Amino acid sequence: MLRTNAHDLVAMAVAGIVSQPTLRQPGYIPDNEGRSTILPGMSGIVYNVRTGDPAFGWAADHVEPGVSIAAANEGADFALHYLSCMGNKALVTSGLATGAVGIVTGEHARILIDFESDVYDKLCVGDTVQIKAEGRGLQLLDYKNIELKKMSPLLLEAMGIEALDSRRIRVPVAMELPIRIMGSGAELNSEYVDQDLMSGDRCLMRQTRIDQLRLGDLVAINHADHRYGRSFRTGAVSIALCIHGDSVMTGHGPGIMTLMTCAEPCIEWVIDPAANIGNYFGLVKQAA
Amino acid sequence: MNANPQVAFNRDRIVTVSVMGHIAHPSFPGLPAEPYRLAADGTPFLLPTYGGIVYNVSVGDSAFGWAADCVHPGVSVTFPSELGNRGLNIFACVGNEAIVMSGEGKGAKGVVTGKSGRFSEHVIIHFPKAVRDKFAINDKIVIRSRGVGMVIEDHPEIQCKSLSPQLFDALETHTVDERLRVPVVAIIPAHLIGAGAGLTSEGGSIHMQTTDRTEIAARKLDQLRLGDIVALEDYDSRYQHGYLRDATGIAVIGQTDGPRAGYGPGMTLLMTAVKRRIEPVVRNSVNLFELLGLEA
Repeated sequence: MLRTNAHDLVAMAVAGIVSQPTLRQPGYIPDNEGRSTILPGMSGIVYNVRTGDPAFGWAADHVEPGVSIAAANEGADFALHYLSCMGNKALVTSGLATGAVGIVTGEHARILIDFESDVYDKLCVGDTVQIKAEGRGLQLLDYKNIELKKMSPLLLEAMGIEALDSRRIRVPVAMELPIRIMGSGAELNSEYVDQDLMSGDRCLMRQTRIDQLRLGDLVAINHADHRYGRSFRTGAVSIALCIHGDSVMTGHGPGIMTLMTCAEPCIEWVIDPAANIGNYFGLVKQAA
Repeated sequence: MNANPQVAFNRDRIVTVSVMGHIAHPSFPGLPAEPYRLAADGTPFLLPTYGGIVYNVSVGDSAFGWAADCVHPGVSVTFPSELGNRGLNIFACVGNEAIVMSGEGKGAKGVVTGKSGRFSEHVIIHFPKAVRDKFAINDKIVIRSRGVGMVIEDHPEIQCKSLSPQLFDALETHTVDERLRVPVVAIIPAHLIGAGAGLTSEGGSIHMQTTDRTEIAARKLDQLRLGDIVALEDYDSRYQHGYLRDATGIAVIGQTDGPRAGYGPGMTLLMTAVKRRIEPVVRNSVNLFELLGLEA
């Protein structure tokens, strides 16, 4: 068991409303070959794509599993982004689904929540969802050079991380991603949203079986320093969470959100197909 | 300039259109945000960044070593409405002529040398140093934009972006079988390409990422100069920028290095093709300063 400062963390309420999908006029986006497409994906209540489902293959672009929430004004929305942590509990506080409890499973342009199957039909765009945000400031007391981001104490405990020695830990992940395919999001700070893996080399996706990635999978990226932005650094390691689905756009693909990062080779990883946040929290999709 | 009659393009069918920008003022985020940006190791820094009239940095100078964060050499212009600025940013091509239309520098002629991307979206123009003293923020500069729609006759699969006929003529390109050979000073591998991936390739910038200084030095990429022509390896920039094996981009270094993660010298994409149809050939010096005969 890794020692943490979990007892020092402050738990705080942040809230957002269930979002409405938006499109830019005229709605087309170019795919890898330049063909214009119109696809659903970001925002809203997604009834049939959940954490644990494949990240590839949907007739969608950047699909956000479950329910996407956002706050109405910019400052409040940044608080929702920067304070919500993966694995935090979310409570519906208005509308027909009032009282339903979900789990934060991603941060993209909005915060993504997974609810049990019977909740979705009762949710309405505009309903309020409140998150008990806890995890900002979480540290591994014996591994101060390993930084945690958007990690709730619950998720950290569930991930089955092993202490190897005084400098190194080992994290189960579903797969490793090569640094050279890490794309859109390199221009952002790494406390904010995600970075897409670039899936435009479709043949490479098949050869490396990256196309088997699932929403909610834990992944490792070698030579990725995600401490203050996302950059190539030899020997750095980042552990991330797959939070949204594939994209047809060049430079885009499934979204990878940082959970742990270290500038030195102190995070090792072991491949475990069950390393998925859906398994960790018992998120089960039932037949509709 | 060495016009290259070997490689023909639709020279007579390219339309020349005016696009205008005002000289941009540098800007910082408003209070209560701190003025600091963060270096890749988390160190806060406060340095000159994009925009404004930059008096002492020019195309031909080193892209590295300045006390600056992705600074633009010469003069940066922007248009005050978002859609108008997009017109400016997309239609202006590297090598196009720019003319100052207002203020003390009226009539001065410059040359477009690059563009910047998300968070600033400026067009970057070279003027001789002496004339920069006459400019004021907000002076109007018209660019005779020419290049969008350019098609190379024997290579229709090569997409040209932000590339003026002036610059294409000056680049000594050659056709070899199905490939177009393009002289460059360096080839940037995909793992050293950062900010700009997934963003538009019709304008804006795609940045080298220079956090790993050892890797950059080992490949001698820290020798690059502003205005250098470079190749992007395994990068497809036909519709936004992204990884694809055997795709190649040709770009020009438009902005200096900077300390932020994911960033480094900004590059403006000039040509892109898949299936190795562009073959970069490394030479000692391929720089806008000489190619376009810029005045210091």
